[in-house]
Amino acid sequence: MHRDSIVITRNQIGQWGAFIGGGALLAGFVGLLWQGGLTPLIAALLTVGIGGLVLWALLAPQEFIGFVTGRQARYSTMAVFATLLLTGIVSLTYIVLQRAVLTLDMTEGRRFSISAETQAVLRRVTRPIRITGFYSPAALRLREVDDQFFRLYEVATNGLMTRNYIDPEQNPAVAQAFGVVEDGNVFISYLKDDGTVDFSSLMRVSRTSSQERDLTGAVARLLAAGTLKVYFDNSRGALDPFDTSQQGLSAINNGMRENGLITAGFNLLDTVNAGSGIPADAAALVLPRPTLDYTEAEIRAIDAYLKSGGAVLILADALFNQNAFLRQDGAFNQYLWDNYGLRALDAVVVETDAALSVQTPLDIISAAIFTNTDLGARLNTGETPVLFSVARALDVNDSPPSNVSNGRVIMSSEASYGETNLQALGETNTYRYDEGADLPGPLTTVAWADNSANRSRVVLIGDADFVTNGLIAVGGNGILFTDALTWLTRFGEAISFSPQAFVTGLPMIFVSVETLDFIAFITVILVPGFVLLAGLAVWLRRQRAS
Amino acid sequence: MLRGVGTVFGREVGQYFASPAAYLIAFALLLLTGLMFNSDLTFSVTQKAADPALIPSFLSFAMVFFAPLLTMRMLAEESREGTLELLLTAPVSDTAVVLGKFLGAWFYYSLLLLVTLIYQVILAAITQPDLGHAICAYIGIWLYGGATLAVGLVFSSLTENQIVAAFLSMSALLLLWLSDLAGEIIANLDLARLIRQLSLQGHYTTSFAVGIVRAEDVAFYAGIMAVMLFITVRIVESHRWR
Amino acid sequence: MIEVHELTKRYGSYLAVDAISFEAHPGEVVGLLGPNGAGKTTTMRILTGFMPPTGGTARIAGYDVMADSLEVRRRVGYLPERVPVYPDMTVSGYITFWAKLRGVTRPRAQVDAVLERVNLADRRNTLIRNLSKGLRQRLGLAQALVHNPEVVILDEPTIGIDPQQVIEVRESVRELGKNHTVLFSTHILSEAEQVCDRVVIINKGRIIAQGTPQTLRAQLQPGVALYVEIGGLGKEAAARLLREIPGIESVERQGDGFAVRASSDMRAALSDAVLHAGCRLLELRPVAMTLEDIFLDLVGRGN
Repeated sequence: MHRDSIVITRNQIGQWGAFIGGGALLAGFVGLLWQGGLTPLIAALLTVGIGGLVLWALLAPQEFIGFVTGRQARYSTMAVFATLLLTGIVSLTYIVLQRAVLTLDMTEGRRFSISAETQAVLRRVTRPIRITGFYSPAALRLREVDDQFFRLYEVATNGLMTRNYIDPEQNPAVAQAFGVVEDGNVFISYLKDDGTVDFSSLMRVSRTSSQERDLTGAVARLLAAGTLKVYFDNSRGALDPFDTSQQGLSAINNGMRENGLITAGFNLLDTVNAGSGIPADAAALVLPRPTLDYTEAEIRAIDAYLKSGGAVLILADALFNQNAFLRQDGAFNQYLWDNYGLRALDAVVVETDAALSVQTPLDIISAAIFTNTDLGARLNTGETPVLFSVARALDVNDSPPSNVSNGRVIMSSEASYGETNLQALGETNTYRYDEGADLPGPLTTVAWADNSANRSRVVLIGDADFVTNGLIAVGGNGILFTDALTWLTRFGEAISFSPQAFVTGLPMIFVSVETLDFIAFITVILVPGFVLLAGLAVWLRRQRAS
Repeated sequence: MLRGVGTVFGREVGQYFASPAAYLIAFALLLLTGLMFNSDLTFSVTQKAADPALIPSFLSFAMVFFAPLLTMRMLAEESREGTLELLLTAPVSDTAVVLGKFLGAWFYYSLLLLVTLIYQVILAAITQPDLGHAICAYIGIWLYGGATLAVGLVFSSLTENQIVAAFLSMSALLLLWLSDLAGEIIANLDLARLIRQLSLQGHYTTSFAVGIVRAEDVAFYAGIMAVMLFITVRIVESHRWR
Repeated sequence: MIEVHELTKRYGSYLAVDAISFEAHPGEVVGLLGPNGAGKTTTMRILTGFMPPTGGTARIAGYDVMADSLEVRRRVGYLPERVPVYPDMTVSGYITFWAKLRGVTRPRAQVDAVLERVNLADRRNTLIRNLSKGLRQRLGLAQALVHNPEVVILDEPTIGIDPQQVIEVRESVRELGKNHTVLFSTHILSEAEQVCDRVVIINKGRIIAQGTPQTLRAQLQPGVALYVEIGGLGKEAAARLLREIPGIESVERQGDGFAVRASSDMRAALSDAVLHAGCRLLELRPVAMTLEDIFLDLVGRGN
């Protein structure tokens, strides 16, 4: 009797060992999978687990052997293996189908199918393109929605476009290499022969309400990359696209390259002196505020370039030196007025409306933007206004020369005026509205002109500081510059297409209160009530059946 | 095989129609969807277009609680009443028994779904809803419901107690439902993605609910049903050897 | 019809059925007799294809219960110990369900016939939840018979119902024996004796005896039992007197007299001895041993 009780105790210890061991082993494995490595806690759990099972085997050997070789173990192992096998087959099918990207768009507006315009762009894809998306786990759902589109591109290009997703929190170095700013940033690029991302072709995909327009636009830019060359005049103390200081233009230069434009410095003065003209491959010429005005020879070179269908972006600025660039009575200004109906005035815009100026009335925020122009379409006075510092007022001839159309993009407020006393402003930083002498607002600061006969285009901006490294990130400054260039180079035309309406204009519901009440009666009272009555009838019949 | 499935299916469907509890469940579900529909409609008037996937998307949540109610009885009761022993000695395979029961539940659920189509009819009468989108959402929620019912059936086979079966399957479904949000809790992207891939919602909200059918989502729900029914068959079978 | 050979069933280390062999022929009612936990239900579950045996073979109508399980199940009607019902179904619905499930080609006619047979025809639309225990037992019998099986297996069909119904059930089992092979289990000996053509007695998973009730009785009753009542002598003295008779094996008090066992018929010697002792022989008659006695005897010996 005494011996019996000891045996039972031994068995019980063994059983406890089995339970604790099994639990610890399980917890250990889960931890191992979770952490992906052996931490002291997991090691301890695994040790306890194995120890417990060994204890079981030693103290209750028969039970242990029975468990391992027994009927239940046999059947349940079979069942578990069969289930695992089936799960494996199901998972495999799932993965194969996921790779196959079979999607059926059932919406009436074909919202998840790519448009003919996108198809046309994608037909031009001949090299592998990689879509790289950065999504942290928190943005998983965003990623899933985006993926719906990206996979359509993959299918449409027969796999030439591929998708790759990276967790920026896990791979901060990679994210930095791409220049990821926030969760959900997407980039496209060509792939190098070894299958890695070709960073020289890297482009950020902008994110608006229409994924398709964003991505197709990016693809089109990538395809157009390297075909458009933009020259920066760097003669006469112009702003330097390679200068990384606050006054330099390196940021916007890099941004342009990121968008697939080739940029190059170019010395107009030297070129003209050498007797040659502006390179024929220039899609656009940027004149980033040289300090001195152009000579007749230079104007002839520019004229020749424009007449051949060229495009010029002029950044004029208030300068206080002699023979300043684009002075009001200078030859170049006269040339612009005669040929395009645009000119710069020797007046600095002073914004007296405090809400539209930053530190001083000379740091002006755009008061009015003509968003119906290609240049102003992506700007608005609320979220992306443009900030100019000491800007010149412009003049637009409302009856331009024949074949030329022109217009304004940005204007200052009614309360502003144009200070014409530049000397006082430059030397003592004083300004004051002088009736008669100064120009009353509103004043134009950005204007454009388009000659339909020779396909030349000009954009005149009364400020240059806005595009320098110090100010480029402010408001819509960068957008103004790039959109001006896009328009000038006709880059936009290569990629513009009518984007699908993503928020489909489903008709709104207009019904009377009576109709609503009737609907409520049907859906909330009649239908559920009918079901309830049917149930009651069944219950009653059952009661009577007894 | 087919005879067994058909006979069990017929009994289960008949059982739903003969039991007041099933009508009560239908009543509760239809009342909730009706209220949902009306509140959305009132909100929509002159404000926005009505969402064609509104009711299916609501059901994706409601099924967490309704699917266990529809399945909790199915095998737990057979096991408790001892009829399982007779079923297992009838000349039909265990698979046929489980399949018949599952199809019975799915059929009843499909009927409920058909009744909710009345909302689409009403919408079509007063505006022009995107019917393709609505049909897509309905296909999705139909498959989704099948998967939740299969999960419910597993737990019904595990225990003799209906309440325990319902509670366990609700917990399991809630977990599967919540894993859609895994990314917001788990820092590891691959793990979060894996968990989201396993979630019931993850294959509905970003595809069927927005109007597209992805082959992998169909495969997911079909796979869940297949695996869950297979497990159920194995558990039923275990009555023979445990 | 039923051939069981060396059938063994093991639950882990517990041996529920230990190499039992028996047969049942068409038109035979075979009783499986034994106390609770003897392995009766296990044997029946194996025969119905519910669970596989650990060893040995069992064939029904020539089909192996393992290899041709579905064929076996088609030919077996089974009534488990606790009548399994769906409380929310009607009587006819319930029987129709089992008829269809077992592949009856014309269920309606068959259901009507079987309900008539178990006297439930007038209750066909009653919900099962409203049936009494005895009626449920009949219902259980009906579901086991609806597909007209060759073999009917009944697990303790008389347990837990009132005496009048017990008699009914016994009668119907005997009735069944005319057309089917019936295997039925009981732990009540008189029942087995009344109903069965053959009895298989099992205890602790082993067959301890089998045969017709008569042969079993004869086989297990090598001696003769007599009832003796003696007048004119005290109990002690009378017992002593009886024991002293040569050839008497045992003497036990039974009522006013004694139960006496001997190897051969001792009636003459016994009366002589009593009269010789000057006493009166009030009663002397042979006693037939019941299966109950045999069973207790066997079970006792088994221990």
